[in-house]
Amino acid sequence: MTNNLSKVKTNSSAIQKRLIPTYIFLTIWCIFSVFPLYWMITAATNASIEIAKGKIVFGTYAAENFKNLLAAEPLWRSLGNSFKYSIVQTVLCLFVCSLAGYGFELYHDSVKDKLFGILLLAMMVPQVATMIPLFRMVSGAHLLNTVWAFILPSISTPFMIMMFRQNSRNFPVDIMEAARLDGLSELEIFFRMYLPVMKSTYAAAAVISFMNAWNSYMWPKVVMNTDTSAMNMPMLIANLSEGYTVDYGQLMMGVLFCSVPTMIIFFILQKQFAEGITGSVK
Amino acid sequence: MNTTKKGTSVLAKQHRAGWFFLLPATIMIFVLNFYPMLQAFIISLKKGSPAALQWTTPVFNNYTRMLQDKLFIRSIGNTFLYLLVQVPIMLILAILLAQLLNNKDLKFRGIFRTMVFLPCATSLVSYALIFKSLFATQGLINSVFVNLGIFKDNFNFLGTPWSAKMVIIIALIWRWTGYNMVFYLAGLQNIEYSVYEAAKIDGANGWETFWGITVPLLRPVIVMTFIMSINGTLQLFDESMNLTGGGPANSTITMSHYIYNNSFGQGVGNFGYSSALSFVVFIMVAVLAFINLKVGDKRD
Amino acid sequence: MKKRLMAAVMAGTMVASLAACSPSPQAPAESKGAEPSATTAAQAEEKKEETTAAPAAAEGDKTLTVYAWDKNFNIPALQAAEADYQKNVDPEFKLNIIEQSQSSDVENAVTLAGSAGDYSTLPDIVLFQDHYFQKYVTDFPEAWASFEGASVNWDDFGKEKLSYSTIDGVHYGMPVDNGTVVFAYRTDLLAEAGYTIDDMKGISWDEWLEIGKKVNEKTGKYLLSMDGDGNDLPYMMLQAEGASQFKDGDINLSENEAFKKVIDVIVRGVKENVIYLANDWGDYTDQTIVGDMVAGVMNGNWIIPTIKQVKDNSGKWEITSMPTLEGKGKEGFASNGGSSLYITSNCKKLELAQDFLAKTFGSGSVETYDAALKNGGVITCSISAGTSAVYNEGVEYFNNTPIYAEIVKMGANVPVVEQSDFHYPTRTQVAAAIQSIINGADADSAIKDAEDQVRFTMQG
Repeated sequence: MTNNLSKVKTNSSAIQKRLIPTYIFLTIWCIFSVFPLYWMITAATNASIEIAKGKIVFGTYAAENFKNLLAAEPLWRSLGNSFKYSIVQTVLCLFVCSLAGYGFELYHDSVKDKLFGILLLAMMVPQVATMIPLFRMVSGAHLLNTVWAFILPSISTPFMIMMFRQNSRNFPVDIMEAARLDGLSELEIFFRMYLPVMKSTYAAAAVISFMNAWNSYMWPKVVMNTDTSAMNMPMLIANLSEGYTVDYGQLMMGVLFCSVPTMIIFFILQKQFAEGITGSVK
Repeated sequence: MNTTKKGTSVLAKQHRAGWFFLLPATIMIFVLNFYPMLQAFIISLKKGSPAALQWTTPVFNNYTRMLQDKLFIRSIGNTFLYLLVQVPIMLILAILLAQLLNNKDLKFRGIFRTMVFLPCATSLVSYALIFKSLFATQGLINSVFVNLGIFKDNFNFLGTPWSAKMVIIIALIWRWTGYNMVFYLAGLQNIEYSVYEAAKIDGANGWETFWGITVPLLRPVIVMTFIMSINGTLQLFDESMNLTGGGPANSTITMSHYIYNNSFGQGVGNFGYSSALSFVVFIMVAVLAFINLKVGDKRD
Repeated sequence: MKKRLMAAVMAGTMVASLAACSPSPQAPAESKGAEPSATTAAQAEEKKEETTAAPAAAEGDKTLTVYAWDKNFNIPALQAAEADYQKNVDPEFKLNIIEQSQSSDVENAVTLAGSAGDYSTLPDIVLFQDHYFQKYVTDFPEAWASFEGASVNWDDFGKEKLSYSTIDGVHYGMPVDNGTVVFAYRTDLLAEAGYTIDDMKGISWDEWLEIGKKVNEKTGKYLLSMDGDGNDLPYMMLQAEGASQFKDGDINLSENEAFKKVIDVIVRGVKENVIYLANDWGDYTDQTIVGDMVAGVMNGNWIIPTIKQVKDNSGKWEITSMPTLEGKGKEGFASNGGSSLYITSNCKKLELAQDFLAKTFGSGSVETYDAALKNGGVITCSISAGTSAVYNEGVEYFNNTPIYAEIVKMGANVPVVEQSDFHYPTRTQVAAAIQSIINGADADSAIKDAEDQVRFTMQG
């Protein structure tokens, strides 16, 4: 018995020994990954001139940078705006795209498959190409500076539809039949059966959609630049980084405020995110 | 008779429901992607002030003009360099990381995975700023290298053509490797563990398992990430715009950045020409994605 | 008709997705949860603005909206004018300043509005870069309102400044900041190499290069740095010669002797460690100027606040005019990167806008300009305002010399040269040519390449 146990132990320590190169490689990679972020955090605590000289330890300037940032830009409002846009976009995007993914996969026929192929083409349209016509449309509909201008082009994206379509393959068709026999309508099946089962797909899609919305910069600059109160976080950072002179401490404090929310969201949804992606690559 | 009628009506109902489900998304893509694309195509046949566009003569003048545009050709060269160097390195690293992280005996897996993924949670605007500061002539990387005695003097990374390209490639690898890793990791988790055990019994080493089992089984994911990366790289914009400004001497400018310069960047407002350029980019992406799909399928 | 159809379809899709979505998407919009409990006076102020922010819509009768882009520079100048007008004309007047991240945001706003054929998205007034304005009048003639009918003493402004904003004799722009070029030197470093500030006046660029070499030997500093990303330097040097990169509306580089000489001076300067080319704007200001790498700075006078950031060097700087190719006492004057205020066609209160600008920036108002100088470092283009007591005060940082009055005087000497709509594409291509030549390319062919590329853009 004891003999057996020690055998397992040596075995596992042998395995760990063999994994040493793996640990070394992963550690190096993680340093590479995390270092710029670490630097961003320390920079937010240093004065502009120290940052320019490449200081990498924590300083005492954080409060000052934060105060300057608050005085210079409407930080809380932009943060609020960013949350508003990102949440609305994520909710609508998830709803519209999951509905479509569900429809494409579980009710599929040759026409729908062909249509899906056509929709995929939209993934390859460069953003710069459609920006001008899109602006005309949004402006014509009098939606400039509204949350709609921000989210409309990103509610329905081929990538998200594809993700839900792929994941829907794992959804058991028998359940649908059973539910139909129970007299549930097609829409009820979606809400009562599909939604709960696909939780992790929704989580993965939410992370991606939220990050895209949060980091969106070029498009809001085009449709929302006529109203400072509509500004989101990347626009705020751009404001800080332009001008004849730049205060880097203040800027990095802004960058920190812009980066932390997406990181937190990822931390929270990490597990579901991984599961959701797993379903989509099956 | 009656039942079949009822049956078909139920089926028809289901059929209708399917269309109902996918209609909102489909309409939105048509209205917000394809219609603007059509508009962009019409604009690409015109020239002049954005407020009063005129048809070009001959109609495809904007497209034929491109061939003489040395700067556009240069931007194609730069973009393809990023594509050919950065995408393979990034994807290989991503598969490698995924493979390492998929080991059940590995401790701290969750922490490693989180740290590898973390860079893609930073916004494009932020990360360009971070890399710019890190690689500045007086910046951190320089002071480290000088202190270690690797460099004699501070090196102007962003002011030298080859190193500016290198910085962009490093930045891209930093930002996107973790993202692709997640897809591979997910793909690997779908592979039954027993497949590996069988291979082990057959005496295959790690290298052989990797090429013999992992890569073929991951092929659909690899094709997908390739298409995403090609698409992303050919539309590369933020890095060129914010990190290097396309310089020095246009040595890092990308196609999208050049298109932007022609429409918004330098007060030129040449919407016709820039729309034509974006159409060319669209065709390039579509062709490459198509080839990729074909190659990915063939080995099946 | 087509547009209306589009709007209907879009509205339809929106409503559909709205109706289908159970949690009301309006809810997060109304939540002010992100706002912290500590509501300072400044935040309360911002909230007030929020309600009036949408341009040209539901505003008070006495409010004008304006776009500007630098809260350390031109925004304080606008605030100064607002305070002036409130105090002396109408206490109810209000200026709603919408901050843009950079000047190109304003240009893009006009471009986009023009392409949509709907200028109603523009504010009443925009601050606009002088170099761009001609092209924007050509391209978007309907976007602008002129100053016709307003009583402004235009003779009070330098000719060169007005040449940007006057088209066919009609005034469109109200000059704000003065772009007159100053050449500032560190007198202590010059002294180490055996020179005084007076030795730098009226010299030729060749003589200047010799001095620069000595300064670099003795002090290790560069005599000049420049943003290698843009061609401000060749532009300024050329203007000081009374020459231009354009001729009769066409690009003129490869046959332009003065231009070639200027490029040669720059390339030699870089090779001999007299001129340092920074990678981009941030590198230029933060590393070379604030990072104390240089013994001299030459640029539009708006660069002065950047120089002043290095507190330790107070009293060591002085300014003078530029060298020229010819030298022998000939001083160089140029102007770089000023901007002016333009009233848009969307302005419903044209008279108020005209009156506001005429009575503040347009009448040499000491109150506006003195406050603009103190709070933002904006130097007036108005010759009469430049004679005020504040302007004639010695500036401690510049060894107690009255630099502001001097700059206004220098501004009157700037020669008018041919401008082009393609100033910025040219700047980019010339910068690329300089970089290539420094990296070993043949000068003539690099210049020819730049010329070809600009011509290509012009044909667009």
